Formats: sequence, structure tokens, C-alpha cells
Amino acid sequence: MTFSVGPVSDSVASWIASFGVPATLAEIVAVLLVCCGPVLGIAFPIAGVAQYFERKIAAAMQRRKGPMVGATGVVQLVVDLAFFWQPRWKRQATVRKLENAPVIGPVLARVRQWGLGSIAADGVKMFLKEDMAPAGADKILFYGSTYLALGGAFLAFAVFPFSQWFHMGDPPVAALYLGSVTGLVAVSILKAGWSSNNKWSYFGGIRSVAMIVSYEVPITLCIAAVCMWSGTMSLQGIIAAQYQPGVASFLGWNLFQTPFMVLIAGVYYVAALAECNRAPFDLAEGESELVGGFHTEYSGLRWGLFFIAEYTDMILVGALFATMFLGGYQSPIGEEWIVSLPPLAEALVHTAIIVVKFLASIGLMMWIRWTLPRFRIDQVMKLAWTKLVPLALLGLFGLAVTQLVQAGRVGVHEVAHGRYLSAPVVHMDIQAVVVSWVLLGGAVATLVVLARKYGESRPMPKDVSDALTGKEKTA
Amino acid sequence: MNIEHDGDFITLSMGPHHPATHGVLRLEVTTDGEVIAACKPDIGYLHRAIEKIGENLEWYQFVPYTDRVDYVCSMNSNHAWVCAVEALLATSEETRLQIPERAEYIRVLFAELNRISSHMVGVGSMTMDMGAFTPFIHALGQREHINDIFEKTCGARLTYNYMCVGGVNADLYPGAEDEIRKFLDGLEKAMKDFNRLITTNNIFKGRLAGIAVVSAQDAVSYGLVGPNLRGSGVDFDLRRDRPYGVYDRFKFDVPVGRRYAGSKGRLGDAYDRYVVRLLEVLESIKICRQVLDQIPPSSGKADDPVGGWCVAKAAQKALRKPPVGEIYFRCENPRGETGYHIVSDGTKVPYRIKIRTGSFCALSIFEKLVPGLMIADVVALIGSFDIVLPEVDR
Repeated sequence: MTFSVGPVSDSVASWIASFGVPATLAEIVAVLLVCCGPVLGIAFPIAGVAQYFERKIAAAMQRRKGPMVGATGVVQLVVDLAFFWQPRWKRQATVRKLENAPVIGPVLARVRQWGLGSIAADGVKMFLKEDMAPAGADKILFYGSTYLALGGAFLAFAVFPFSQWFHMGDPPVAALYLGSVTGLVAVSILKAGWSSNNKWSYFGGIRSVAMIVSYEVPITLCIAAVCMWSGTMSLQGIIAAQYQPGVASFLGWNLFQTPFMVLIAGVYYVAALAECNRAPFDLAEGESELVGGFHTEYSGLRWGLFFIAEYTDMILVGALFATMFLGGYQSPIGEEWIVSLPPLAEALVHTAIIVVKFLASIGLMMWIRWTLPRFRIDQVMKLAWTKLVPLALLGLFGLAVTQLVQAGRVGVHEVAHGRYLSAPVVHMDIQAVVVSWVLLGGAVATLVVLARKYGESRPMPKDVSDALTGKEKTA
Repeated sequence: MNIEHDGDFITLSMGPHHPATHGVLRLEVTTDGEVIAACKPDIGYLHRAIEKIGENLEWYQFVPYTDRVDYVCSMNSNHAWVCAVEALLATSEETRLQIPERAEYIRVLFAELNRISSHMVGVGSMTMDMGAFTPFIHALGQREHINDIFEKTCGARLTYNYMCVGGVNADLYPGAEDEIRKFLDGLEKAMKDFNRLITTNNIFKGRLAGIAVVSAQDAVSYGLVGPNLRGSGVDFDLRRDRPYGVYDRFKFDVPVGRRYAGSKGRLGDAYDRYVVRLLEVLESIKICRQVLDQIPPSSGKADDPVGGWCVAKAAQKALRKPPVGEIYFRCENPRGETGYHIVSDGTKVPYRIKIRTGSFCALSIFEKLVPGLMIADVVALIGSFDIVLPEVDR
């Protein structure tokens, strides 16, 4: 009996078996490693340290330099130890002199401690805090919803391909599966809010569910559009459909196919931000309105689990965005050189590529979070139902028409399920790309002109906006 | 909004330790889902009986207590108190004080700097209430520079105790003028960044436009003052209309609400009040520049008569036997008109002090404005009135 899931697990199994382990056991271990490794080894740690990046990005955006900038960290310590007999001000002056020195100064300015210890300190702090449930709370729901949140976030990774060989499973209905397990997060937030016996939590839960239910609609439409375009609901299949031979392999990515795909991608990203409760849609935990929102009453590690679930959701959004629009784990500069590597090396390179892609997405989310203010709940609803859903429908319709014109039929292509490079993919030809971009570009330009003309009938008074934002007056 | 319709109401206690109530304000809100049906402000958590304490202190000893009346703009509170006492002393020829010219200019300079820093806190914390944290930090960053200047001058960063009856406690430190000029240039630039980042942001505008609209008539009848009054389009500023100190020597505009949010907004909405604060900062920058141009030079001597209660012997003498009488003096503070009503019975302690503050009156209009708004709007509303709680309770 063999459990092989591909050449990578085979090679790992034979490597394990070389230590004298029974062959069957070695294969089971290898399959577990290959299937669960990327999820537990990549997604979980990244979710854990994402708060560190969040802190750093926030600090950079807010010009908070902190005590670790310059040589005040390590170098001061060294100087302190070396000149311990001197008074403190003299030692500090020495460091300042070093910082201003011509050659050594710029080098020292880079020496930081990076504040890495705070990750560990944060974790320890969360472990040591008391695990409390408020009086009158529904204990089962209160404790259970944390696991539900984490489960919803991590179950989605079961179908997520990190490489051709790194994935737990690749069911032909992966897109449907994703749609249903991500809904678990909404349930968990509702339960958390409801069971906390706190009005603020309750409001957070209600808000979150109202929002997630609304935003499921545009998200599902976007996923449906991509599935239709690729002719498959399997994620490996969607990635395979974006394969383009040659060096400029990024031209095969869905994002660069038609302007409608750009529209769909935009709608998906905005809706997904709302789905994972990130700013500017963080109404469920809007700290200035609802104190802590649905997790007001959670403490210690349980709060931490919600936190990790949130960051895992962010990773998932980035990973799905990359899979659906940015060619998944494929590199933008040609695929042939990667697939010619041995299977394990190929898998590692592909994993690295997808990690870079979703890290970029996380960075973008943090950038958005530290820039934009929060919506109000009715504005959020309005955005979903009056803007995103029509736009998603437009994109879906446009994609269907484009596909009909280009390939002669909508939907079902003969995409060989699973292993890519074997997929008979129909791509847009260059004329079609140009024509569709020109048409949609013209439409958008017309809209912009019309909006400029009729949009805001009474804008801010000119002199005031000049005074505020500082456009120079032209005499 | 009809409160008595069928439906289940939730009573929420917003505060006294809620992140958006800017201190220990408690709002008892009755909500129907997200929409609020009724709101009752509950104050008094920070009552320190400052007015009563004042009756047991000598006239000049009350100055540090005015710091605590409104700690976000202590300089302005100081200014109002010392002006009030000086006005009392001026009612009799024997006790009338001659305030050194330079001291008057320094008072205006520091009052305006503190107005800038107070408005920075106001607009900054408002953006934070709206969920944008970055502009808040940028705004507070500018306030830090002002705090540095104050610290170098009087040794404190929050409660300055700087002005005194008859002058100010210390002259400007050497190089202060240049440093303030440099700061003002940097501030102008930073303000533009701030506005590009958040003020013109469509989400932000959408949150504030048309929210908590105060008509000009309401603003007057509820006794709103300062930017809250001007945000409703009422063109009234004590600095221009009833000038005190040397304010009549400077040229500046008084910004009023003009429906800044465009077609979405209405005159006197939260966005108007917010923009009026921003424009006032720009006007304060103008005033500071004029002060620095006109200020008479320091003689450089240690006993240069900028005042100081140890220096101003005349003030010391006058305060021992002030004229009998009653006086009400009002100053334009960042949070609007602050009035000190003092009654003197001719002894060295006041007979009675009554402080009139802007935030207290702003709170009174909440009950009228809040019903019909959503929970998130209440946060915007509190921010737009720039409430400072110690000023409410005193």
C-alpha cells in the first residue's frame, strides 16, 4: 500500500527510509510532512509574526523612530560596558560622536536591535494571562468560538496549493469549499459577540455578521468569474490555466488578460478586506466606537487566537488573490527553469514565490489600515450592495462576453485537472487584449469626465482647499 | 425621530472609560440597534471644586489651578485668569498695573502656540476616533515641538503656570524667536501633509458630512462658543470683536463654517467644525509671525520687567488690597470663550470665582443632536465638539 502524493513525498519517504524506518511508516510521515508542512511551517508562523510587521509598518508610517534607531541600542551597550567608569552623559556623548563620525556613522545608524524580543514577550504574556470568562457568559459558546475562528481560517489552507507538490488536497470543487469554510469566521464572531454577555461585544458580532454576509456576495461573484474564465474550480487548475510559456510568463496571469479581470480583482480585494475585518472595514472591533468589539471580553491566549485567526485570514486573502489573479506560485519571469529543477527544489522555489506574493498583499493591507479612517456601518452596506455587487456583475458579464468572443464558448475548457503544464489553455490574443482595454478605458474615461462635471455639485470652497492642501495660487 | 415606536431598546453606558469620550464623560445612550433614540450626558466624574479652592487662595496662587481647568490649553487658561485679575485691579487707579509691553506680546505668542497645540490634539484625536491612527500621531508630533518650546521657557510640558498677574514668569530663552519661526515653517508644511492625508479623504468626509448639524440659531441659543459657534457660520471671535491684551495690533481672519464638505454636507455639520479648527491653526500661525515681527527686544537683564510675581512688586502690592467689586472677563480659548467671573471683597483672597467654559455648554446640546445618529456618529460628534472633560467638571 502506498500513500504517494507525488515525487516530493516519494523522495522524502525514501530519505526517511534510509534511516532504517519501515517503508510504510516513512511514507506516512513523508505525506504528512509534505501536506501539512507548508501550512504549519509557513502560514502559522507568519500569522504569529505578522503583528511584528504591523508594528514596524505602523511606526514607519507614523514617523515614530523609537529608541532602537541609530546606535542607541547595541552600540550604547558596548560603550557603556567599555567605559563603565565614566558618567552616563559622557558615554552618551561618545556614542553621539561615533554616530556623527564620517565613515562609521552611517554604518552605526543601521545597527538596531529590531525589537525582535517583543514577539516572544508578547507570546509569553498571552500565555501567562488568566483565561477568564465574564459572569453570565455562555461558557460553551464563549470558549468554543475561539477554536471556530481559528478553524475557519486554517481549514481554508487545506486546499491551498503552495506548489505543484505542496498541497493537502486539490478537490475539483475547491472554490466552493473555500466559500463555505471562510463563512465559519462569521459564525465564530457572532458567537463570540453573543456569548460574551456584553453589549459592546454584541454590537461587534452583529456588525461583523451583517458585513460578512453582504460581502460574501461580491466575493462569490468574483470567484465564480475566475472559475468561469479558467474553466475549473480546482485551485491547481486555476493556476494551471494561467501558465504562459516563455520568459514573460506574467503575461499569462489572469490580472493581465482583460480589463474586466482587473475590475474583478479590485472588487475581490476590497470585498476580501471587509471579509477579514481589516481597516477600513474593521467595524466589528472598531476600538474607538465599540471598545474592543466582539473580543472585548476575551483575555490572554483566547484573544491571541482571534488575533492569529485574523492574520491567517489576511494571509488567505493574499494567497487567494495571488492564486486567482497573479498566477499562484508561478514566477513572473519564466516557469521552465523552475520545473526543470528536481521536484523538491522546484517545490521550495514555488513556495517561496507564493510566500512573497502574499507577504506583499499583507503589506498592502497594513498600508491601507494605517492610512484610511473607518467606514460607518450603513456606508459599508451601501458600498457592498450599490457598488461592489454591480461592479462584480459587470465584470462577470464582461468576462463571459470576452470569453465567448475569444474562445467561442463560455466556461468549460478542457483543463486537465491538477498538474499544470499539461493544461490546454486558451489565452487572449493581442488584438483582443488591445480592443478590450481600449473599450473599457474609453468607458472609464467617460465616467471620470462625467463625474468631474456632475459629481460634486458644491465642492469645498477653492480658497479653503488651497489653504488646506497648499496648491500654490497662480496669479 | 420618534422615540416611542415599538421596538426593543438597549441602554448603553458609553463611558466613563470609553476610548472615544476623551476623558471621563459618560453618555447614557438608548439605542435601537445601531441607531440612537436618546442620549443623556452624565458628568461630574472629574469635579475637583476648583472654584471653591480659589476662594481660599490668594489671587496669584490660583494660576496653577487654572492650568488644571483645561490642561490641553493651560496657557490660554492662565491668560484668561491673569487678564481677569488685571481687569479687576484696573477698576481702581491706585491698583492699576502697567503690564510690560514685551510680556503682553509673549502672552499672545504663547496663547496662540497653545491654541495650535490644542487644536492639534482636537483634530488629531478626532481622526483617531474615525479609525485613522496615523494622522493623530502626526498631529501630536507637531504638539511635541510646542511642548519643547514651552518646556525650555517655563519648565513644564503640560501645566505651565507661566503667566502671572502683572506679566509672565520668565522671559523667552535666548534663540526662542528663531526656534519658533522655524517651527512655524515646519508646521505649515506638516499641516498640508496632514490635510492631504486625512482632511480631503473621502471616507473621512463621508463620515463627518451632514452629521450633528447645528444651526446658527441653535448654536447661539445653546451658548456654543469658539470653533463650535463659528462652525455654524456665526462670525464672532473675541480676539477680533472684543480685543484683549494686544490682540488689536494683529491682522488675522476669523474662519467660519461655509459648508466645507460640499454638496454632501450641511452648514454647521461636524466637518465644518473640524475644518474651522484647521483654518484657525493657520490663522494662529499668522498671528505668531506678526508677534515675532513686532515684539520689543529684551533688555537682557536678569530683572527685565516681563513680570514674574517675584519681580512684579507692583502686582504683589496691588494684590494685597484689590478694589472691591465684581468683574467678568472673557478670553477666546481654543475651546471657545472662557469667562472668569470674580467677586472681590477687598481682601487678599477672592470672595467668589465662577468659571464659564466652552465644553460645558457644548455638552448641553448633545441631548438634542444625538437622537437619530448611529453609534459611530456619536464618536464623531464628541470629537467635533472637542470636549475636554476637566473643563466641563472643573
